[in-house]
Amino acid sequence: MSEEKQLTEQESLQLIANMIQKAKGSYHDTGIGSLLWGAVVSIASFVSYLQREYDFTLVIDIWWLVFAAIVPQVYISIKEKKNLKAKQYDEDVVNAVWLVFGISIFALSFYQNIVPVQTEKYFSQEGFTMMKHYADGRPDEIIRPFTPSLYSVYILIYAFPTMVTGMVKKFNPMKIGALITYGFFMLSLFTESKYDMLLGSASALVCWFIPGIILRNKYLAQTRANV
Amino acid sequence: MFKELDPILHSQLRLAVMSLLISVKEAEFTFIREKTNATAGNLSVQVQKLKDAGYIEVVKQFKDNYPQTTCKVTPEGIKAFEDYVKALQEYLKV
Repeated sequence: MSEEKQLTEQESLQLIANMIQKAKGSYHDTGIGSLLWGAVVSIASFVSYLQREYDFTLVIDIWWLVFAAIVPQVYISIKEKKNLKAKQYDEDVVNAVWLVFGISIFALSFYQNIVPVQTEKYFSQEGFTMMKHYADGRPDEIIRPFTPSLYSVYILIYAFPTMVTGMVKKFNPMKIGALITYGFFMLSLFTESKYDMLLGSASALVCWFIPGIILRNKYLAQTRANV
Repeated sequence: MFKELDPILHSQLRLAVMSLLISVKEAEFTFIREKTNATAGNLSVQVQKLKDAGYIEVVKQFKDNYPQTTCKVTPEGIKAFEDYVKALQEYLKV
């Protein structure tokens, strides 16, 4: 492209439109992050469902898989940032939303683990305990405090950053995934908690894994086109 | 009466650079060169002209021991670009 060429008004407008199009088309998410989290959360949720349905335990808590996925995610983020030659306006917003999502998930898992223990402690200090009383005359049973149907809240939170990303990036697969997940959240309010795990597994697939496949295919197609 | 077109922007390569930079938050020199198909020398001269006009900010730094030049449009650049597009639309009655 030469500097000196005299442009007509029509050519100027055409050039502006072309360059804006080129800039917009230059960025494609690699999809690896979406695939990673979609797979990890879906597997962990599905295994949790199987554990409850068939009453078995594993050597380690399957949810450690989710914590372990942070390591490759950090590596992927650093590598992608290094290769990025242009920064988009919406990037900071999307990154902030996912950071807040990560913090919220961690906070919720702390809530899930700490609240029952603390509640039991307070009950014991006050000198009472929670009991299950059967109407049919069977003997009462002690119940340990728990957070009922908490996985529904996780499902609700899965939808939030996915919907924001879908709206900001104008990426329909994520918007659709988030909408389906809101539906799963509503459904999970009426299901037993073990089925909530199954719904959570499906949520991770529609929110992240399937959009991840679409993003990955788009990215690979663009990479091939640039070679 | 038609508004005169900004001579800084009314040049093929400078307009291409501004159009790219208006679409992103910031971009590396290599990215602009790749998208405009300009030579490094020519692009450097035009980037400098845009910088002198106050339309873009140019940051030179080292990344992994390699020099890296990053360009970013300024608020003055955005205003000039908007005025330029409005003037074009007036000419073309779009």
